[in-house]
Amino acid sequence: MKIVIVGAGEVGYHVARRLAMENKDVVVVDKDPAALRRVSDTLDVQVVQGQGGSPVVLEEAGIREAEILLAVTDSDEVNLVACLVTDMLAPNTRKLVRIRNGDFDACHPLLRENAPHIESVINPEIEAARTIERLIRVPGAVETGELVGGLVQFVGLRLDAGSPMDGVMLPDLPRHLGGARTLVAAVLRDEKLIIPTGADCLQSGDLIYLVSEKNRLLDVLSAFGKIRKPARRILIVGGGRLGLRLAASLEKQQYQVKIVERRAQRCRELAGLLDKTVILHGDGSDQSLLIEENIRGMDGVVTLTGDEQTNILVSLLARKMGVDMAITRLTRFSYFPLMPTIGIHQIVSPRLSAIDSILQHIRRGKVLATLSIQGDQAEVLEAVALPTSDIVGKPLRNLAFPKGALVISIIRGSEIIIPSGDSVIAPDDRVVIFAKRKTVPKVEKALTVKLEYF
Amino acid sequence: MNWRIIGQVVGILMVATGLSMLFPLAWSHWYEDGGEKAFLLSMAFCCLGGGVLYGMLRGPMGEGLSQKDGMSIVAAGWVAVSFCGSLPFFFSGFVPGFTDAFFESVSGFTTTGASILEDIEALPQGLLFWRSQIQWIGGMGIILFSIAILPFLGVGGMQLYKAEVPSPVPDKLKPRIQETARILWKVYLLFSLMMFVLLLCGGMDVFDSLCHTFTTMPTGGFSTKNLSIAHYESLYIESVIMFFMVLAGINFALHFRLLRGDGLCFWRDGECRFFLLALGGLVLFVSLGLWGRVYETLGESLRYGSFQVISIVTTTGFATADYTFWTPAAQLVIFFGMFTGACAGSTSGGIKLIRFMVCARYCHKELFSLVHPRGVREVKLGGRVVPEGVIHGILGFMALYLGIFALGALVLTTLGSDVVTAVTATASALGNVGPGFGAVGPAENYAGISVSGKWVLAWLMLLGRLEIYTLIIFLLPEFWRQ
Repeated sequence: MKIVIVGAGEVGYHVARRLAMENKDVVVVDKDPAALRRVSDTLDVQVVQGQGGSPVVLEEAGIREAEILLAVTDSDEVNLVACLVTDMLAPNTRKLVRIRNGDFDACHPLLRENAPHIESVINPEIEAARTIERLIRVPGAVETGELVGGLVQFVGLRLDAGSPMDGVMLPDLPRHLGGARTLVAAVLRDEKLIIPTGADCLQSGDLIYLVSEKNRLLDVLSAFGKIRKPARRILIVGGGRLGLRLAASLEKQQYQVKIVERRAQRCRELAGLLDKTVILHGDGSDQSLLIEENIRGMDGVVTLTGDEQTNILVSLLARKMGVDMAITRLTRFSYFPLMPTIGIHQIVSPRLSAIDSILQHIRRGKVLATLSIQGDQAEVLEAVALPTSDIVGKPLRNLAFPKGALVISIIRGSEIIIPSGDSVIAPDDRVVIFAKRKTVPKVEKALTVKLEYF
Repeated sequence: MNWRIIGQVVGILMVATGLSMLFPLAWSHWYEDGGEKAFLLSMAFCCLGGGVLYGMLRGPMGEGLSQKDGMSIVAAGWVAVSFCGSLPFFFSGFVPGFTDAFFESVSGFTTTGASILEDIEALPQGLLFWRSQIQWIGGMGIILFSIAILPFLGVGGMQLYKAEVPSPVPDKLKPRIQETARILWKVYLLFSLMMFVLLLCGGMDVFDSLCHTFTTMPTGGFSTKNLSIAHYESLYIESVIMFFMVLAGINFALHFRLLRGDGLCFWRDGECRFFLLALGGLVLFVSLGLWGRVYETLGESLRYGSFQVISIVTTTGFATADYTFWTPAAQLVIFFGMFTGACAGSTSGGIKLIRFMVCARYCHKELFSLVHPRGVREVKLGGRVVPEGVIHGILGFMALYLGIFALGALVLTTLGSDVVTAVTATASALGNVGPGFGAVGPAENYAGISVSGKWVLAWLMLLGRLEIYTLIIFLLPEFWRQ
């Protein structure tokens, strides 16, 4: 499978990295030789230097044999032109494009049906804003994801010392939960991701990933000692595109929102675009401003400036001033593992969201959604169990399923099954699978129709 | 530095070298030439040594390779494989000592073709085959070969590829390094097959055809005959070998494109066009100079002139005539040819034409800016601007190459060689050519060089084969500092 990626930025680089690790043929196009050098020095992919929208460059990158074009440069315009050119040169190539400008939101279906025939428009900010909203809604969650249209919730939470679940053996878990059905998919302990077995017990300090039905989630969380009054007052630091999108959505849901923005001009724009939100002109890292605006009274602080150092700093400041929830936007993935050490647990990354959406489209089989866990240590995949697939019709315990992967829920019609070893996947069920990075290709293979190989 | 992975890969390379001795062993057995013992002993040594090394360091490979690891693996791999390759020579007893055995092996793997053997035809057939086989393996690159067949090298393959094939303008044919390596080897294999058949048609026996194919395609130059190609006195065989020497001097990426149906790619590629034109020009220049002075007829002049020029410029080193008796101008052309080499991405050695082209265009740009102080001009190659960093790399490489050449020649004269021998032997070893002038001319051999001189030349060959940087960074104190 050949994939041409236009744009060697953070998203392009990381998608290329994952795909190259899965032995796919990747060609990366960028106009900046320095960005390309980073790619060619560390990844086993081909690089082509040039403008991503140029027919000559795309031709050189082998767009005609490519199965997928991925346009993820910083410029929406270049991305669109790349798609348009691809549509002319290679009409059969599937096109995925990142467009960040919110003005295009309404046009996504049009772009699919008309000229560039874009299979999917990826707007990482939409996804990131949704993630933040979920983090605000779900108390105590460090990571959240929705699968099967929101029916199944995937939540990462940290087990504090003194939690009722500290030291509980996994087989005893259902008893402690009092009927609420859940399944612990993975545990992150000392920066190592483990898929627990019946012999493992939970320890304080663990980051626990679990799945639950949507309407039982709050019960599960309270059983884990995560009880909190619903958040109402939210302070957003940084009024960029994502900040605006989030504020607009939150103010509609009766949250009290304040935005701190450094640029006076942008403040005026925000004031024009938002109705109930309070817009403050000032520097988010200015402690006196935060105190003046009663940061202690906030239920949550969301730091979304373009500068990640500022975001980290402001979140730390907020935590220190007693705010429970500090959601931090990070771009550089290499920072992710450091964050828990300094006390920042809730991280959003539009880029990671973009990578998730992109991978979902590239994965074979009928994969409907993917979530990245801990940067890229693991993935949660939602897929349709094809009638001919290897996983159908046998009890789970008899499946030759790759080690390091786990079926964490089965959805049949509107029924949600949290599986045990005896559960059987029926054709056309939706399954949610948790898989460590290295096993993803194997899982993908297990999900694919067998006939493809003949 | 990731010692574990370096040791593992080197161990595997040693075992692979040991196993590849099965082929000469088979020949030895077939001809009953008494060489089996040497091969069996060497195989045992290589497989055991490599196996123990691998077994001791077995464990997780870790995440990818750094550039430093890549260079270390390639350098250590080449030295280890050269050592393994020298064992059959050593154990056979046909080679005076270990120094000579190592020299012969390095000369083989680096496709130099310089020999310490005074009477080649006295060697058992198996050993002759081994000499040719190591050139064939070394030509396309032992590491590239490993990448092609060992999937686990895929992760760090690019680092290894860059360290072994340090082309100034890297040409990745396929997105994945393993695919690229496989394609290059397939093209190599295909050409070898073609040449083998053509030589057979010319009346050469199977053994000699195979051996000469194995030493022509990598532009190596070992022959199974004392008189090299002159032994056959056949215009047909000379033509076939000339044709394939030229092909081997052309970038293999272009061969791939040609096989894919791009008929004009040789002409469209600037370096290849320059190579073919320059080769034609040099052949004419030398042949016309020889006409009437050395050879009576124009036909003879062309026949011997073209073969020698092609043999040296592509750094093969086969001989049909002794150019040390030629006119001074022709001799100097041959000497300069030892430096230029052919195209980047080919199996030839030397500095490579592309570096000269960039250098010449850079000089032109400098002169241009003297005439137009405010003029703006870029160095271009094939319609593309060559980045400043690449130009600096190329100029640095050439300076280093000439510096090492000067130093090598100085060391050789200190060790007792005369000036002509020292200078040309150094140029020949560094360029992986084979013959030189004086005491190491095409009709002579390297037996007369002192023991320490042979070691110096062996290292020069390795330096030349790995294009200097990969080996020389080990001398940098910064490399060893943690």
